[in-house]
Amino acid sequence: MTLLDFARGPALQWSMIILVAGVLWRLGGTILINAKKDLSKARKEHAVADGLKTIATRSLPAHQFEKNIRFQHFSGYAWHIALFVSVLFFAPHILFFESVLGFGWPSLPNSIILITAAIALAILFALLIRRATHPVQRIISNADDYISILVVIAPLITGILAFAHLGARYETLLAVHLLSVEALFVWFPFGKLMHTALTFPSRYQAGSSYGRKGVRA
Amino acid sequence: MRKDQTLGAYLFSQGVSRRGFLKFCSATASLMALPPTMVGRVAAALENARRPSVIWLSFQECTGCTESLTRSHAPTVESLIFDAISLDYHHTLQAAAGHGAEAAREAAMEENAGEYLLVVDGSIPIGNPAYSTIAGISNLDMLKESAANAAAIIAVGTCAAYGGIPHANPNPTGAVSVSDIIKDKPIINVSGCPPIPVVITGVLAHFLTFGSIPELDELGRPKAFFGQSIHDRCYRRPFYERGQFAKSFDDEGARQGWCLYELGCKGPTTYNACATLKWNEGTSFPIGSGHGCIGCSEPDFWDKGSFYRPIAAGLWGSRDALLGAAAAGAAIGIGTALAARSKKKRANAAKETEST
Amino acid sequence: MSALDTISVRVEASSGNVRPLLHEIRHALQRVADGGIGTTIDLGSLPLAPGEEKRIEELLGSGELRAELDALGPTVLQETRYAGVWFVTHRNTEQEVVARFIEVTRVPELLLAQEVDMQRAVHELEKQLEVN
Ligand code: SF4
Ligand code: SF4
Repeated sequence: MTLLDFARGPALQWSMIILVAGVLWRLGGTILINAKKDLSKARKEHAVADGLKTIATRSLPAHQFEKNIRFQHFSGYAWHIALFVSVLFFAPHILFFESVLGFGWPSLPNSIILITAAIALAILFALLIRRATHPVQRIISNADDYISILVVIAPLITGILAFAHLGARYETLLAVHLLSVEALFVWFPFGKLMHTALTFPSRYQAGSSYGRKGVRA
Repeated sequence: MRKDQTLGAYLFSQGVSRRGFLKFCSATASLMALPPTMVGRVAAALENARRPSVIWLSFQECTGCTESLTRSHAPTVESLIFDAISLDYHHTLQAAAGHGAEAAREAAMEENAGEYLLVVDGSIPIGNPAYSTIAGISNLDMLKESAANAAAIIAVGTCAAYGGIPHANPNPTGAVSVSDIIKDKPIINVSGCPPIPVVITGVLAHFLTFGSIPELDELGRPKAFFGQSIHDRCYRRPFYERGQFAKSFDDEGARQGWCLYELGCKGPTTYNACATLKWNEGTSFPIGSGHGCIGCSEPDFWDKGSFYRPIAAGLWGSRDALLGAAAAGAAIGIGTALAARSKKKRANAAKETEST
Repeated sequence: MSALDTISVRVEASSGNVRPLLHEIRHALQRVADGGIGTTIDLGSLPLAPGEEKRIEELLGSGELRAELDALGPTVLQETRYAGVWFVTHRNTEQEVVARFIEVTRVPELLLAQEVDMQRAVHELEKQLEVN
């Protein structure tokens, strides 16, 4: 079995199983465990609107800190958009999703994907350096942060190399790219990458519970 | 042509002019995928080349490789190369049969010990040697015996090079490649199912011309022919770059000659010369005719999923396994959450009874 | 018209290699014109789309000189519309194309009488003289 066969076959299969099982395990657990009754009298019976509002309001930098976090905030946006475009609209990626989901969607030309992938990589590098050097960020970062960045940066680098046929034979580059994505799959449920699935639910949760207490979220 | 005669002398004695010889050399250089600047060196070498003895063994095979070779457009250049070698043993092509054939093989091996070229097509069954025998000799024994005094071995076809179709899962005969058995001889793998005929003759021409082994890639294939992937040299590449893919074999994209990646083309991971040398007198090659490459020159090409499954799709098993994983994950998650809750409840209850 | 022609497949496609090839020829021609050495391009080594070889031939056109050689099958050396650029097609005795080259040079090497052939010719001429 060649490296590529391994990466396309068993490694992919097991990493996907771990990803799916892990995500559902954590989601199921997170949603159900925090069911402790709030015994105080609610200021507001239905705080659904507050929950939804918070999902939206937290998508913008908070006024109080705006000056300090503007760079962080908007580079975060740029990075996520560039990443999503690269992941979701590259033709070979869509073929992969199609094989899993059973349906596909239109792709963007490779030249555009190359640009978005390069942007994503550059921003992530900048953010990584900032994290490692910024005094506050350095203190609040732990191993999880760095591992999470690593498993995202690796597929970006190997993907660009495989796309450009740079550094090794294509099948080796492709295999390494797949393996790096598989590492991401495996790490995903257990580290901070889980924010992908938890960001909106937790914003909602915070918003609605503050709302219940009559506090502005 | 006598064995001790040089090729130059032979052609001269046949009345071939120097011009004819130079033409032969430029066609040969082109055949060997050498740059035209090498014609002079090819001429000098060919002029003094001596006729090598060739023993061709066919093991577990379909004779497709020999068919490919003999159905090649039999141009003068290639037939000249065949004149220029002494094919002393070849099942399909020799006139001798039975004991006479075996005697010819033994005689050639003895006379040319250490100098003859061994060509093998087909894989070798080691599950049970009786699966394939010639004159009562198992393929394994015949290969070992014939390889012992060979100057070099050319494994023609994916079966001889990597086990090929007989080796495909579940490999009922325990088929292996030549290089799985012979470890102490230079082996040139000319893979393909079948290999392009001019690649076979090109490699023979190289051995004849330079008396040496051409530069090989990590899978033992001559770089001159297998140095670049089909995708590297594919004329549909601009469509790939622009993201223009045929979605079915008869849609508008297919008619426009767009890239066949989504229809399962294995060109990006397949190394062969089809895109430049092409097939049938250089007429076309699969991609030129609208079908993706199936990767026939790569090891285990038969076991890499459907020929029509895109490379990017992966071979990740079934959706059922994923659904099972999803169910299991959810169950564990919910289970642990509920367990934690009831534990807390019990603890709280215990606390309450304690305090009362 | 065969049934094949009724299938509406566009045979003309582009590999994007024709223009670069023409540029290469231009540079090679400039070199020869400046007294430098010639260049030979093996058409078999280029990834060309169906129909492109023909397009190249048409683009280069045919010029003043056309020579035919009969050695191990016919070879045609056609000077193209551009002086110094030759289209060389080698065929075998069965008339099948075995190799195609574009040569950029004053005179293709193959047109020159070769020394060994001349030696043999001298020999044969002498024999002829002896007979008469
Ligand atoms: S048809 Fe195949 S080899 Fe050609 S560009 Fe597309 S994927 Fe590559
Ligand atoms: S195009 Fe691919 S499958 Fe077809 S002969 Fe060439 S290498 Fe084999």
